[in-house]
Amino acid sequence: MAVQSFESDSLLQAESITTPEESQMKVVWKRFRKHRLAMVGASILLIFVLAALIAPILAPRVPQGSGLTKVGLLHDPLAVDPANKHLTPGADGHILGTDEVGRDVFARLLYAAQVSLYVGIMAMLGSEIIGALLGAISGYYSDSAIDSLLMRLTDFMLTLPLLPILLVLSALLASIAPSPFARLNYLIIILIIFGWMSPARLVRGVVLSLRQQEFTEASRALGASDLRIILHHMLPNAMAPIIVSSTLAVGDYIIVEAALSFLGFGVPAPLASWGNMLTSVQDYMFMNPTLAIWPGLCIFLTVLSINFMGDGLRDALDPRMRGRGTAG
Amino acid sequence: MTNYLIRRAFTMLVVLLLSSLAIFLILNMAPGGPLDSLRMQNRGRLNQLTQEDYQRLETLLGLNKPVHIRYFTWLLGDDWIETLPTGLIGVDRFGEPYTNGTNTGILRGDWGDSWTVSRGNPVIGVIAGRLPNTLTLMACATLLSLLVAVPIGILSAVKQYSTLDYTATTFSFIGISIPIFWLGLMMIILFGIKFKEWGLPYLPTGGVVSIRGAGAGGIFDRMLHLIMPVTALSLLYMAGWSRFMRTSMLDVLHQDYVRTARAKGLLERIVITKHAFRNALIPLITIVALQLSGLFGGAVLTETVFAYPGMGHLYYNAILRSDWPLVQGYLVILSVVVVVSTLLADVAYVLVDPRIRYE
Repeated sequence: MAVQSFESDSLLQAESITTPEESQMKVVWKRFRKHRLAMVGASILLIFVLAALIAPILAPRVPQGSGLTKVGLLHDPLAVDPANKHLTPGADGHILGTDEVGRDVFARLLYAAQVSLYVGIMAMLGSEIIGALLGAISGYYSDSAIDSLLMRLTDFMLTLPLLPILLVLSALLASIAPSPFARLNYLIIILIIFGWMSPARLVRGVVLSLRQQEFTEASRALGASDLRIILHHMLPNAMAPIIVSSTLAVGDYIIVEAALSFLGFGVPAPLASWGNMLTSVQDYMFMNPTLAIWPGLCIFLTVLSINFMGDGLRDALDPRMRGRGTAG
Repeated sequence: MTNYLIRRAFTMLVVLLLSSLAIFLILNMAPGGPLDSLRMQNRGRLNQLTQEDYQRLETLLGLNKPVHIRYFTWLLGDDWIETLPTGLIGVDRFGEPYTNGTNTGILRGDWGDSWTVSRGNPVIGVIAGRLPNTLTLMACATLLSLLVAVPIGILSAVKQYSTLDYTATTFSFIGISIPIFWLGLMMIILFGIKFKEWGLPYLPTGGVVSIRGAGAGGIFDRMLHLIMPVTALSLLYMAGWSRFMRTSMLDVLHQDYVRTARAKGLLERIVITKHAFRNALIPLITIVALQLSGLFGGAVLTETVFAYPGMGHLYYNAILRSDWPLVQGYLVILSVVVVVSTLLADVAYVLVDPRIRYE
């Protein structure tokens, strides 16, 4: 008994003289919270994500041809309604008015948020995973032919101008896609094919420097396989830069998707995305210029928030960057 | 240097050949060739195309040949194919020997004829007609971006963490986050449509020249038409390059020779302009040269939004209207632009930095 109380006493003493140990997450969160713009960005982004998730509650859809729509009791906000074209904001319960075929603009923005975020996040996940694996292999076997081949390919692909190439590829794939949703996924695959290079380079750099360190040698001496070393020692150590680059990548993919959709070769109708909502606005610029404002503003705010967040994460995850925030 | 250039030229040729192969294969092996859509249209019609009709069409479009022969004739032409022994190149899909065509191949300047966008006109002429407009746009955008980005980058670095630095940072965040095409649309609505409604001086919303009115087609008129597309295209590069210039300048300012220059009592202005600035510019030059092809590709969006008759707009229309010879032509030029801008980046690097020598 006496021994136990003695132990707890010394524990209390120890706590009072040393700073309490904080988990890595807590430290990062503390530093992230100090970055004002990153916090603003995170909040705005949270609002967009929530809005996308509860879109079915905010703007409930009504299946086409159900009895209720026929007698006009319920109205599907995404349905074409020629009688209510170009309603002004606020008219007839349409918060942001209606578009050129009578669809509710606010409802379309909500469902477009789902599509744009889905494309951005899926493309990011795909390209970061593939890029990280290729980069780790390339960096770990840096004296091999695989490495020089992969890096040559990376260098070459990074010089390619994305937009014209994505444009022609998605135009070709559009003709064979069985459904709009399939086309959406083809688009994500194309984005991944042209997006893995930057994460690959990043991870390669980290792995190259880690390979020289003692702990790698130690685990090799303990008989760990190459795969184990890469997966358990290299990639976790590369996590900080990967998190930052994936955050920023989501923003890039959202912009590229929007540009392709704006040109008519991205997300296909009837699915709404912020980009394809802008496709036909140029025909109605004199009549209804507000149509052009909202979708673009959503893209801009989302991407800006993501970029601020990425900046905040960069500072929070890198201990050497302490107090050197680039933007506030 | 000469040795290096010769070696580079050789690599360039190989890369160009490979990319021409990639372009050709992607456009020609893709499912749903031109005859597929024709077959779809014909399904169930009364006047059916016969098998002979399809055979004639395939021969006319060169689809009777296997793909490697088609690539070969696309490069070198088919006006001399009869001189090659049948044993070497085989026979066509219908079991008949190849006959000479009229195509002379892209290497001899025959890029085929446009199908829909400028029906029947040679692709090379159609593209050449649009080239000056795109080059003007690119040159103006590069110049404007540099004129804005370089001073801002230097000032941000010299006065690090000042209000100016934070403002520049915030603006560059906005610049990389704003979708160019949406910015273009907003500019058109504000400066083109609303300014006109409010009776203010307004900017033209599209094209390169006015059709009528005083001074239509003059240099001033052309400049007015360039203002909005150039601004929209430049924004992204202003943002990126000013950040790059800032980082590069900060790097240089921490070097020993800058400290030496300060220590020997030079004016800060001279330290920055003579010692730091010139060295900080070196990495920027490489980045600018490398991104020229990106600028060329990015022009597709800008030109489409502003209905600016350049190559990007042409390419977009060609994809929209399935004008494959034109699409192919644009992509070949694009690959040339990519290869040349990479070479330019390397050569510029050597020219501006005496420390680097290629042997």
